[in-house]
Parts: sequence; structure tokens; C-alpha cells
Amino acid sequence: MLIVDVLIAVFVLTGALLMVTSALAMFRAKDALSRINVFSPATGLGMPLVLLGCYIYTLQHEGFSVYRLLIAIVGFLSFIIVSSIASNTLSRSTVLVGSPVHRYTRPNRLVEPLVPVDGGETGDPTAETETAHGDGPAQRSV
Amino acid sequence: MSIVFWIAICLFAVAIAIALARVATAKDLGSRAIIGDLVYFAAVGILTMIAMLVDLTIMLDVIFLASLLGILSTIALSRILTRGYR
Repeated sequence: MLIVDVLIAVFVLTGALLMVTSALAMFRAKDALSRINVFSPATGLGMPLVLLGCYIYTLQHEGFSVYRLLIAIVGFLSFIIVSSIASNTLSRSTVLVGSPVHRYTRPNRLVEPLVPVDGGETGDPTAETETAHGDGPAQRSV
Repeated sequence: MSIVFWIAICLFAVAIAIALARVATAKDLGSRAIIGDLVYFAAVGILTMIAMLVDLTIMLDVIFLASLLGILSTIALSRILTRGYR
């Protein structure tokens, strides 16, 4: 019984500490893309740990149930997958709207010239797909 | 056992306070959108802790629905950022 309590406490406190860490990292990241990037430990590791602690608590107090196991597994996977899709969508729209990218964000293919100036070796296929969108505003570096 | 849940509630509240202070000082809209997402997940964590404190039987359902529907606000904010341009 004591070991189960310690497990619940470790999972819940680790999840909460990861959330605080991710909130503090918002101050250290320089631009929006880096902030979206440092947000992923909170939803990719912190919230699944909280859900795991909650499921162990439920298992201890109310016993096993197939429905609760199914709910917990689907919630665990959707915390990882759904929040990743949301971060991807938000970062894509942040790039499209032309928000500034800090010079410390590296590697940064977005501020390289779309048309290669000399040689022709610097052009990559991602830059060509960016020009295919048409009227997306150009990137500017800070 | 309940002291652990109270400590976790305090940690989530500290995370929300730090994130709101960052929203007040942020310049661009993408940062504000992602910090709003962080506030949402911290609020879900606080709800989970309260549900474990008062022994609710629906706490797993709460986390399940919150994890599935958390994408909606982020996608709506990203559509607002680009003015509907995909």
C-alpha cells in the first residue's frame, strides 16, 4: 500500500514539476517557434504522468475495470498525439504569418534565400514548397 | 496522501501564474497562443487533483475528454493567426 502511494506521489509531482519547468522555459526561449518547441515536455511527458498517477489511484481505490483501462490508454495516447498535432498546426501558422525568428534559433532554413544567389547549392526542396504557397509573407530575421 | 495533491495544486497554480506573467510581457501572437495552451493543460491538472482530493469517480473521464478536445482551441487560435489562410 505504501509503495503504491509513493508511486502516485512521484508521478503526480513529476508531472506538476514538468509543467512548472515548461512555464519557466517560456522566459528563456527567444521566439515563438522555440516556445512551441519547449512546450512539448509539459504535454508529452507531464500530463501522461499525471494521468498515470490518477489511474493508479483509481485502481487502488475502486478496483480494476476494462472501461477505465480503455479510457486511460486512449487518454494517454491522445495526450501525446493530439497535442503534437496541435503544436504542429500552430507552428505552421506562426511561420505563415511571418513572425520574427531569433538569430539563435538554429538550424533555421526559413531565413535562407529562396532563390539561390550564387552557385545554386543552397536551395533545398522545402524552400521550393514554401514558394508554392504563393502569397505567404516572407520571413524576416531579428 | 492529500498533502501531495495540495502540493501538486500549488505547483500547477505557480505554472499558471508564471505563464500569465509571460503572456503580459510577450510581443508576438504565436507565443501568446501556445502559453494559453499551457494554461489550459495546467487547469486540467488542477481539476484532476481536485477530483482525486474529493474522491470523484469520473476523474479519468475528465482527463480523457480534456485530452481529446484540447486540440480545438489551439487550432482555432492558429486559424485566427493566419486570418483563415491555410
